[in-house]
Formats: sequence, C-alpha cells, structure tokens
Amino acid sequence: MIFELNGKNVSFEAIPSLTLLDLLRNEFGLTSVKKGCDQGECGACTVLLDGMPVNSCLILSPQVEGKRVTTIDGLSENPLMIELRDAFMENGAVQCGFCTPGMLLSSYSLLRDNRNPTEEEVKMAIEGNICRCTGYVKIIEAVLDAAVRIGPD
Amino acid sequence: MKPLTGFNLVRPRTLQGALTLMATLEKTQPIAGGTDLIPLYREVQCEKTNLIDLSLINELNGITESLNCIVIGSTTTHTQILSNNLVAKHVSALHDSCSVLGSVQIRNRGTIGGNICNASPAADTAPPLLVHNAEVNISNQNNNRWIPLEELFKGPKLTVLQPDELLLKIKIPIDSDSASAFKRLGRRKGFTLSIVNAAAFVKREEGLIQNIRLSIGSVAPTPLRIKKVEEEFLGIEMSKRVLDEIGQACSDQVKPIDDIRGTAEYRRDMSNILIKRALNEAWRRTGGIIE
Repeated sequence: MIFELNGKNVSFEAIPSLTLLDLLRNEFGLTSVKKGCDQGECGACTVLLDGMPVNSCLILSPQVEGKRVTTIDGLSENPLMIELRDAFMENGAVQCGFCTPGMLLSSYSLLRDNRNPTEEEVKMAIEGNICRCTGYVKIIEAVLDAAVRIGPD
Repeated sequence: MKPLTGFNLVRPRTLQGALTLMATLEKTQPIAGGTDLIPLYREVQCEKTNLIDLSLINELNGITESLNCIVIGSTTTHTQILSNNLVAKHVSALHDSCSVLGSVQIRNRGTIGGNICNASPAADTAPPLLVHNAEVNISNQNNNRWIPLEELFKGPKLTVLQPDELLLKIKIPIDSDSASAFKRLGRRKGFTLSIVNAAAFVKREEGLIQNIRLSIGSVAPTPLRIKKVEEEFLGIEMSKRVLDEIGQACSDQVKPIDDIRGTAEYRRDMSNILIKRALNEAWRRTGGIIE
C-alpha cells in the first residue's frame, strides 16, 4: 500500500493491528511522533492527516492508504513552522519537550487557518495536547507570539 | 502498552459491499473514526472480530438538505458538522455539542454515527438530536427502516441494531421558528466525558412557551427525553420562576448513578442547573428574555 509521508510517496505493509503511530516510529524511524497514552487522550502522537490534526495512535495503518501524512519533520523548512518553533524556544514553551511536536502541529494547523487567533481559540486548538510539565501559559504565549511574527497575511 | 489484537479489518468501497459483509461474516463490528473502538481493543481481550471500516463509503458521508430536513450521513465527522452552516443555523444545540466534544484531534476523526451507536449514556450529540426529534435510518441487506432516535437506545452501550444492520443516516426536521442549545459539565472544558449534559429546544410565542423539548444525558442508562416536564409547561408564560420550576421538575425525573465522574446526588443537582442553562440560552436565541 502507498501513502504520502512528508511529501513523498512511500509504500508499506498494511498490518491492521499496527497503528499509524507504530508504523511511523518503527518502520519509518520518525520518533518525533511520541507515544504517550496510546489511547487518544494525550495528543503526543499528533500528526496531520490530509492537513488535519489527528491522534496517530487511533488510526489503523491500512486506513492511511492514499492519504497525506505530515509530521514536524516534513515541515522543517516551512516558514510558518519555523516562526512557531522560534516562538516556542524564545518564549520558554519547551520544558521536557515530549508534548512539543504535537503542540507544534496543533498550533501550526490553527495558524495556517487563522492568522490572528484569540487566546481562547489557541486554548481550543491545543485542548487535545496534554503538557505534563504544565507549561501551558508559555505555550499559549508562544503561539500568540508566532501569530504576531507571521503578521496578518 | 499492550499490542492491538483480536480483529481483522475489512474496507468495503460501497454500501452494498458493507451490508453484504455485515450479513455474511461472523461477529462483525462497524468502525469509522475509531476514537471509541481502538482504545477498547487495547483494554480487553476481544473475541476475534471483523471490523468493517465504513470510511471509504462516500454515500455515508456528508450533510444535505432534503424536504425541509437536514440529513447527516453516519460517517460525517464532528468537525464537518461544526463547519456546516445549515446545522449552525437550524440545529444550534448540535453545533454547540460538536464544538465541545472531545478535542480537535477527536473531532477530526470521530463521527456522529459512531457517537450515537456507541450508545454511551454521556454521548454529547444525543441530547441535541433527541430534542430535535431526529430519526435514524437503519439498513441491512434487504430492509431499510426509519426509527426515532429515542428508540435506538436500549441501555448503556446497547442499541436495537441487529448484528447485520448499519446506521446509515440521521434526519433532523428544520423548524425555522425554533431555537435550541446544549450545555455540558465535565472535569475540564475540553476533552473529557460529560458528568451531565443537557439540551433544550424551544418555540416562543411572545412570552409563552409554544413548544418545548428537553433532554438530559449521563443521568440514566440512556440519554433521556423529559416528556413529562415538557407537557407540564407547554403554553405557560416563561419567567425566572418558571425556569426554576422546570429545572427542579427535570431533576426529579432523572435516575443517575454514582461513578468515577460524579455521585448520583451531584448529577441530580447538576441536571437542574444544566437544563436551566440550556433552556435559558435557547430562549435567548429565539430573541426572548427571561425576567
């Protein structure tokens, strides 16, 4: 089976008992996708599926056939992601870093569709991403800062 | 973490194909977003199940308007519902519930058919659909029938669906002079099961309650319509006192249990509060003010 991973078509053996999370980590070595709760609660395994944030631990690998999967690795040169990353670093929004890839993808998806979000909209966008260092305040500040950096357009 | 075991996955491309599989394979279970089912297969050792993935079947997905009704396909995601203008305008309680259900990630995968068929007493889309008199379309290979959503629920996690049947779509009548609203209470704002949830539908004629429908979830084995209270307050003039009486009357009708999320006593009290909040909001949306 074939799907698009970070802009390239890749083929894989579709095993139903293998989740997208395990496929990405074990078969493709993308360990930026974190394994936290493995049951759709924590958001550490967030990836973009056809551009939308999803929990990769709740997706069976055959279900991504023909779809587009994006991890932070595929956005390393993306201007919006670069601003977000810088804003996270400069605002001290990274403590242990385990939630960071998921936080970045949820925030990326928000800012891509909404260049000028309110604090409430930022909170809603990351409500599915748990930070166990509880650094939420700085994360929210970083996302709002990134929105300022990228400007209205 | 335990590996996933106990199932095969079949991915039919047509509805007819899916119904044939439901009729012929042993021990089938439809799956769409998987947000409720996948965690289940991690927790319990299941007897070998054939998961029938409905996500490739185009005709089960999407929202259309037909004969003064809004028709929602069973694999339509909460995110799709949230961005639909028809739903926002005519079924505002459902729009409300889809905005607070789960997280962004869950709403992007979870489907309305899954939320209903999972038949959790706490399902957030159930009270809004119940107060809007939604009907559901159920089919097997040979027969297709419509039933009121209320008749679908049999108990906690139980529906009247037969092993070979699929829920195809949900139909909601459009009633343009009405308004509705949904409120919930959870441990935090996003992403937790509701301790209690409630929806109210109302039609207003000047200050009078011309029509009223009330539903509360997570307070009984199934999401409840509170018809006794609806009948009692039909045609009454709305006021702050009447709102309080409705809240009190609703809390007398619920049969909650103690569980990890809350005690029965707390749920009963919160039924009163939440139905009042929902009704107050619905009334406000009709343009009315409660004094």
